[in-house]
Amino acid sequence: MSANASSLFQYLEQLKGTTFGRLYQQPSTTFAIFRRMLPHLAKTIVMAILYMPTPFLLSDLDIWIKPTAKRDKDQAISILRSLHIVLRDASPTISLNTNFKNSLRLALEGGGDHNSFGVPSTQPPPDDIDLGFLDRYARKKWDDILHFVVNSVGFSTSEKGSSGPKQSVKDLLIGGRLVERSGVTHRITQAGFTFLLQEANAQVWTLLLLWLEAADVASSSGRGLLGGLESVDMLSFFFLLASLEHGRAYETSALTEARKNMLPTLVDFGLVYIPPANPQQFFPTRLATTLTSSDTALRSVSAGFLASGEGGGGGLGDSAGDKSSIILETNFRMYAYVQSPLQIAVLALFSELKFRFRGLVSGHLTRASIRQAVDMGITSDQIISYLASHAHKQMHRVAASTRKPLLPPVVVDQIRLWQLDTERMLATPGFLFKEFDDYKEYVAICNFAEDIGVVVWRNDKKCMFFANKVEQIKGFMKDRKKSNESK
Amino acid sequence: MNHIDASEHYDESAFTGQTPSLLTIIIDTNPRAWAALNDTLPISKAIANILVFVNAHLAFGNDNQVAVLAAHTNRAVWLYPKSPNPDSVAGPDSQDVEMTGVDGRPSHPELGTSANKYPQFAQIETSILTSLRSLIDNTTTFDLKPTTLISGALTIALSYIHKTSLAFEPSKTSKDPANPTTAPSATLAAPTLHARILVLSVSDSEPAQYIPTMNAVFAASHARIHLDTISLHGMPTFLQQAAFITGGTFLSAASNPRGLLSFLMFGFLADAEARRSLITPTQDSVDFRAACFCHRNVVDTGFVCSICLSIFCEVPENAECLTCGTKLALGSYGAKPAVIPRKKKKKKRINGINGREETGSATGTPVPA
Repeated sequence: MSANASSLFQYLEQLKGTTFGRLYQQPSTTFAIFRRMLPHLAKTIVMAILYMPTPFLLSDLDIWIKPTAKRDKDQAISILRSLHIVLRDASPTISLNTNFKNSLRLALEGGGDHNSFGVPSTQPPPDDIDLGFLDRYARKKWDDILHFVVNSVGFSTSEKGSSGPKQSVKDLLIGGRLVERSGVTHRITQAGFTFLLQEANAQVWTLLLLWLEAADVASSSGRGLLGGLESVDMLSFFFLLASLEHGRAYETSALTEARKNMLPTLVDFGLVYIPPANPQQFFPTRLATTLTSSDTALRSVSAGFLASGEGGGGGLGDSAGDKSSIILETNFRMYAYVQSPLQIAVLALFSELKFRFRGLVSGHLTRASIRQAVDMGITSDQIISYLASHAHKQMHRVAASTRKPLLPPVVVDQIRLWQLDTERMLATPGFLFKEFDDYKEYVAICNFAEDIGVVVWRNDKKCMFFANKVEQIKGFMKDRKKSNESK
Repeated sequence: MNHIDASEHYDESAFTGQTPSLLTIIIDTNPRAWAALNDTLPISKAIANILVFVNAHLAFGNDNQVAVLAAHTNRAVWLYPKSPNPDSVAGPDSQDVEMTGVDGRPSHPELGTSANKYPQFAQIETSILTSLRSLIDNTTTFDLKPTTLISGALTIALSYIHKTSLAFEPSKTSKDPANPTTAPSATLAAPTLHARILVLSVSDSEPAQYIPTMNAVFAASHARIHLDTISLHGMPTFLQQAAFITGGTFLSAASNPRGLLSFLMFGFLADAEARRSLITPTQDSVDFRAACFCHRNVVDTGFVCSICLSIFCEVPENAECLTCGTKLALGSYGAKPAVIPRKKKKKKRINGINGREETGSATGTPVPA
């Protein structure tokens, strides 16, 4: 589980059980969800019971897992339940969703005729399409979208000649409230800043989820705006794209009609490329194939960008610099190996840039610059997570070898303090639990909630606690009540 | 100092992600043993099970890596990835040539064309199957020995793991000169790559390989690499010790080789990260017998050089240690101990439960208080 999986996780969590049943019919979707959404221990548990002929007792699970790791176990089970991977019944055994089980087995073994890993094109690909070309193409498309968002801040970037994203993409960004229309110009919102400061992978997911929600709204209101697309099918198509091989041609005709209709929009996002000479083929770009990658893999992907970008011109150089490029020192100085005006504009949102060299900018994080960012609606957590996710390789290495935090703690603290200067409240939507029958009940329920990691605040004296998710607790309270009654 | 900066409250787990893990599988391909197993578990089925296991490992995250080796009767062969230097021992390497695709583009028209398989899985499967087939084709009746060259495979696996982990380690070239402690020795650093070795053993341990095997095992233990073993046939004594020494898992599936996949998925899939929160199967008894350095016999009791700890099954010639050349004094070995007759005391013995076996010595082993 990574930070940028959380928005996808939230989306998945609110889906219905039957929807999951249909999602899990596709091995590629199942595989992607398994790989992307589950914590490590949950994966281990799933794999252990995948080929088990008999049901697995929950009590056996308790024996298998060390008592010290109870918290991890509860969290793993909770996530497995909320994704409908293990059945939600109260039986003493733990068993996998039948669709999930069959699909994951198929994914591991191969075979079947589900064609869910994409049908490769039999025709020879055009000669001029190689990895470098696809990377440049994807980068160009994506930068256009980012430019549109950044430009709405008011920073003028020097890059000209890019026509900007298509109107449909613009509408999507406006509909998702990443930018607001104010008169003729557009103004960025706080969600837009969050979007800008995310990693590319998380940005792609944010946009895809916006698209999904737009499709949901369109289908529920009866308008055939997006050609009657269904969100489940769209979602499993995303996961299918993620399992394709970068730089390989795939057959368009093997897709269903609905999915074919999705291709133009995906082209607008830069996730796939369709050669104009041969619309029978489509190429997934790196943005698509890394959809379900973990963070560390993305770092190596950026290395891949770098390797293929040598000789590929400046356009790729900055896509390599886009990741793993910032060095932050304890004296609040920041050095960033970036070239693109876009990246520099993003950095200028929260830092005071002093020098610009070829391929390097350096600047300070100051109280004034952070205040300015906070005034624009950027939070300190967003800045910190941006710095962390774009930290230079060397920062990662040193942090790993010295077992220290990635960013200098003093700087992280100071950024937070500077923000606290301006705002002193943090709103968390959630539920307050109070007026328990007795203290014992309070302790039991609160501890359970703490174990699954949903408690935001608790006060043992007043027997109250506040949780940001309620479904699991509801189930727990119901079970508890039942067992109390049966006693 | 470390406590003052209170860095514990920085929850950066979201940024670090999961540590990649490298699984090296050594498949014992002893033809005799597989022939003996053919009724219950033919090698084709075993390989299919292993492939599912490999895929399961890779499914954990796309930075997980896998390497597969075959330990044959007379050599160790790479199955996946391809050997970096295609040696001539394996005969004509026609398949090596066809595997290196066209201008680096991952487009192998001959493999992975199925839309029903994850591309990476198809690639590994093809590589393992072609290498294994060429290995089988190149095996002559002359090679049919009852034991397997496991130490060679272990050594290759260790060097591969070392090479791979170097790629993940912090670079040592750009060390901060003002603060040389920023890059402490590798033993202190958090591992950036979880590596482990799984041996699928079907044959007995060869006493002649005792020393090279144990050297490899201690190297693995030093590098904190778990050495797991699943034994389908035979009694791999040394691998049992290896699992004990390196903190790995040893399971014997000899009673039910058909359940190989379940054994693998349940017992061996968890990597070092998951094992921290799992209780791994332990061995109730480990055969700690060593092989002597002089005749490679497995011995229960023997002679140990007091200088270099070499083990001998009999007194070496001239009582000189064969390893370090020290002249050993044997004391009064062979002399009849002067036995002082003790008064016969009738001691009630509850049969066997008394614990200690009849060792011939009147006093027990001294136990620290």
